[in-house]
Amino acid sequence: MIKKILFKFQNKTQLIIAMIGAFLGFTFLIVSIHYLIRVNEFGQGEEILGNNTMIVQKQVSSYNSINLAKTDFSKKEIQHIKDQSFTASVQPILSNSFGVSLQTDSELVPYFRTDVFVQSIDEGFTKIDPKKWKWKEGDEFVPIVLPRDFLVMLNTFASAKGIPQVSDDLAKTVGFKFTLYNDDNKEWQKAKIVGFTNEVSAILVPSSFMEYGNKKFPTETPAKVTQLMLSVKEGSFGDFEKFLKQRSMESKETSMIVGKLKSVAGTMFSILIAISIITVFLAGLVLVQYAQLLISKNEYEIKTLLRIGYSPALVTNTITGYFIKVFAIISVFSIAAFIGFKFLIDFLLQKGGIQISTSYTVLSISAVIIAFGLYTLVNYMNAKKGVLKSS
Amino acid sequence: MKISFNSVMPVPLASIEHSDKSIWGNDFTLNKGEKVVLNASSGKGKTTFTHTLAGIRKDFDGDILFDNQSLKTISPEEWAILRKEKISFVFQDLQLFPKLTVAENLRLKNSLTNTYNDDQLKHFLSELDILDKWEVKSELLSMGQQQRVAIIRALTQSFDWLIMDEPFSHLDEVNTQKCLKLIDNRASELGAGFILTTLGDYHQFEYNRELNL
Repeated sequence: MIKKILFKFQNKTQLIIAMIGAFLGFTFLIVSIHYLIRVNEFGQGEEILGNNTMIVQKQVSSYNSINLAKTDFSKKEIQHIKDQSFTASVQPILSNSFGVSLQTDSELVPYFRTDVFVQSIDEGFTKIDPKKWKWKEGDEFVPIVLPRDFLVMLNTFASAKGIPQVSDDLAKTVGFKFTLYNDDNKEWQKAKIVGFTNEVSAILVPSSFMEYGNKKFPTETPAKVTQLMLSVKEGSFGDFEKFLKQRSMESKETSMIVGKLKSVAGTMFSILIAISIITVFLAGLVLVQYAQLLISKNEYEIKTLLRIGYSPALVTNTITGYFIKVFAIISVFSIAAFIGFKFLIDFLLQKGGIQISTSYTVLSISAVIIAFGLYTLVNYMNAKKGVLKSS
Repeated sequence: MKISFNSVMPVPLASIEHSDKSIWGNDFTLNKGEKVVLNASSGKGKTTFTHTLAGIRKDFDGDILFDNQSLKTISPEEWAILRKEKISFVFQDLQLFPKLTVAENLRLKNSLTNTYNDDQLKHFLSELDILDKWEVKSELLSMGQQQRVAIIRALTQSFDWLIMDEPFSHLDEVNTQKCLKLIDNRASELGAGFILTTLGDYHQFEYNRELNL
């Protein structure tokens, strides 16, 4: 009966307009949060390098070939890159100045031996388990990250010899052996693959191993820093690319493309989130205003209910309950619309060859629950204030 | 429940001189079961009196006690319990819900305590000759009919006190007597008292006490 008194005789046009606004705001909010998360996840897990991390080097030109320009980075240049706004972190990649070759050391694969080039990167730039990515003198084996091309080459060799090819998992169980040498000394160290990379062309080893080799097998040629490992801040790929062009530097194109795509899509979804929040806020304001108008129009009814013995809490809860139903309708329709949009967008992305996770993100659904909670809380406080004013 | 007035003076009436017998500025106590009349001409503060007792007006000096609790310390939730169980009102402006039918108006109040069923409510209407208005919206009733509905509504709960502000102002003498009889019977049944404000007419009823303004 209270509901009939308070709500039945009201004009609902403003309520319906506010509900449509809130529905659109809620829907855009879920969709944009969901896809912002998915865009940021895109490309993760496939590479041992950290997110937005890439190797940069100076472009080799004719001037380099005739020794008029340098391809190595000075300390000043590294510091300058470190000071750029797009740089999250930067570290020089250490290369070997000693001789090193790698050979297979297992009955599972054919004997294979080649001179190699090794590099070391700081563990902060990789996603390898830090417990696995360490080495000290006397350890059973050196953990290494192998360029995937190297494995392809190994398999091509195996195929030519009529031997079964080696998968990633099997390769990790195969024993390898490093030969470290200079003109005077030679030493063997067992090695084991802990990961693969598409981004780096050299075999990666822990820094401690590199330092050990450079110290124990010194040569007359000092190690130069020709490559840097650089993590770019989220959404800063535009500035980063501009900087590379100005300084005649380059990075691996695939990382750049993925990074740029993520930057553009991330910025778009961030803008959409901002618009959605504004829409949700404005729709919330209209709903609160409608609730205030409802309380104001029902001032006589609320006063009379209280005067005949109805408790302010009961009247407040009735008003709050009505709006909880309104917010629940908005939320349910928004989630339903999101499911529809998600189905369509996922389909279009997959059709376009972009593989992203199709599972639901907790945060996007949580955003609706939070918005629902905030609406309810504001409405409850508003209703309580209005009812007590009439008491 | 005992009602005690301790030097109560509504702020708007503070500048007016009141007699020694006036309820304003003096101390007195109303005991449960008393049938009280407050007879005064218009503008003397009858509605101020009922609204103050109802907790609607709070602009007064002095204190009013319900038993030993100061009216000034009663919270909105406590007022709801008092209005549901201890004090019932017939306001001068009746305070019915115009869009609701007579039945809905009565059920709305009765549902708080489930004191009566529909048949008993209809019996009250029948006693006051408005049974045919059961399904009629209140806004379509005459003022006299609305007054009778408001009186019946006030009776659909148990109470210690029934406070009525000029409840018969639109009723003829025959209907007034019917209403007064119904009120007196209900109050006696509950061992309760009532306070009736009137514009000079005692309605041939023997009250226990008369208050002055």
